[in-house]
Amino acid sequence: MTEFTLHKKRNTISSILNVLKWLLIIFFAVYTLFPLIWLVVSSLKTNTELFGSPFALPKEWQFVNYQSAIQVSGMPLMMANSIIVGLASTLINAIISCMLAYCLSRFVFKGRGFIYTLFSAGILVPLNALMVPYFVTINKLGLYNTLIGLIILYSSTGIPMSTIIISGLMDSIPHDIEEAAIIDGCGFYRRFTKIILPLSRNGIMTAATFQFITCWNEFVFANLLTSSQNVRTIQLGIRYFTNQFSTDFVSMYAATVLSIIPSVLLFVVFQNRIISGLGSGAVKG
Amino acid sequence: MKLSGQDRIGIATFLLPGLLLFLLFFIIPVVYVFALSFFKWDGLSDASFVGISNYSRILSNSVFRRSVTNNLIWALTATLVQVPLATLMALILNEKPRGWKVFRTVYYLPQVISGVALAMLWQAMYNSEYGFLNGVLKLLGLDHLCHNWLGELNTALPAVLIYWVFYVGYYMVIVMGDLSGIGEEFYEAAEIDGAGKIRQAIHISIPLAKNGIATCVTLAAVLSLRQFEQVFLLTNGGPANRTSTMVLYLYKQLQDLRYGPANASSVMLILLGIAVIMSIRWLFSRWRTI
Repeated sequence: MTEFTLHKKRNTISSILNVLKWLLIIFFAVYTLFPLIWLVVSSLKTNTELFGSPFALPKEWQFVNYQSAIQVSGMPLMMANSIIVGLASTLINAIISCMLAYCLSRFVFKGRGFIYTLFSAGILVPLNALMVPYFVTINKLGLYNTLIGLIILYSSTGIPMSTIIISGLMDSIPHDIEEAAIIDGCGFYRRFTKIILPLSRNGIMTAATFQFITCWNEFVFANLLTSSQNVRTIQLGIRYFTNQFSTDFVSMYAATVLSIIPSVLLFVVFQNRIISGLGSGAVKG
Repeated sequence: MKLSGQDRIGIATFLLPGLLLFLLFFIIPVVYVFALSFFKWDGLSDASFVGISNYSRILSNSVFRRSVTNNLIWALTATLVQVPLATLMALILNEKPRGWKVFRTVYYLPQVISGVALAMLWQAMYNSEYGFLNGVLKLLGLDHLCHNWLGELNTALPAVLIYWVFYVGYYMVIVMGDLSGIGEEFYEAAEIDGAGKIRQAIHISIPLAKNGIATCVTLAAVLSLRQFEQVFLLTNGGPANRTSTMVLYLYKQLQDLRYGPANASSVMLILLGIAVIMSIRWLFSRWRTI
């Protein structure tokens, strides 16, 4: 009898827990998605509809908002700038980080532990606190208001994170492969290009995806280190939408939606890498 | 493995570019802000040594003090609310309920959307005339609860602070990484001992995910201290500096060409960051697990 009531009590508790569980799951999903969906729907309304009935669906879907968004904002140029900065700094960052990771992961030398410590600390350095020196350095180098300035800054500040992600993957490559290659007369550089790099493709892709998304979304230094419209990146662009579109809110939303699409697409395609990268301790300093 | 001559040269050449850039963009800037925080400088004329007067100036400045307080409130909210929520969701999704992968993707989504776009989005949510939040309140007949959320003294800080607290994906994924490594045998043993789901979570999952949770708490605190974009774009520190943060204060000093106080606040931020990281490490090292 008592056995039975205990069992029953357990069942009630577990069904309550089950309901709670799904309430939480749905709450967080709605919380994340609803504002985004609202933004997309609003971007397809007229301004009168937006003010009149913020929750209703548009009578006619105003795809024309997207057209005016592109025309008013000068978005093609900003997108191009962001793509150039993102790709260039991802490429430079990946090359330099692979070289570092190769040394740190495959060789034992004096100072190796120290470099690891420095890089782990580097991930936690509040870069925003370094605005003044970055501003001064980029100015001194004559790179203020240039895309090159941003590229150099982004590729450098991403080094600790990328190196740690890539070397983490390189650590898992067995040493036997290299030893066999050494016997075959394969030197330092050939082992890097022919063996280690191809085998660390996954780590490199993870690091590169992180780096590109970070660059694409970066605002603080793009704002600090550029001033003219022809070097404006997309994130800076969003900031000026409020001025450009003044009261044309729906087109402004359309422009915002367009700016979000690339990084979301990249995430959806590469999400397994990003998630496994984070889960496997890439950020554990 | 013994290093050959070629290896030595190779290592040196491979390390050089990366270490140079690290020196240029991490080490020198940190040394720079420390050194220049003792000087008065406007970026144009020569700098003059002023001792600790930049520090006494910012520490007696009410806006700076308000900024530090805001950053600390922010860090506490992130570590005590956001990370526990993320851990809870990690525990739930780790049970692999139906569609868990989709939910994981959804929760992570705000992480890949830029801070600027999110600020734009929430500006629209909070807007007093056509905003989402007031719209919902009006729909429910709660007109008296409507606010100009970002413009009023009492609602501005909670408004800029709260919206990202429920974006738990980033920390959730980190904790899930640890949870997925826990062997089934722990749970099977607990099952035999008659421990329910909640006790299993408290006595097995959470202790064994300690490292992931520690990482999240550290990241949450550090990211809160360097907070800039959200306040810069949503309120620019207003109304009446109620929502200012240390980095925003620093940015405004820089704009006014007051490099001395700007650097002093950088140093304060870095030191506060180190102190916070150390205390989190210390707290977690005292948390003894199995």
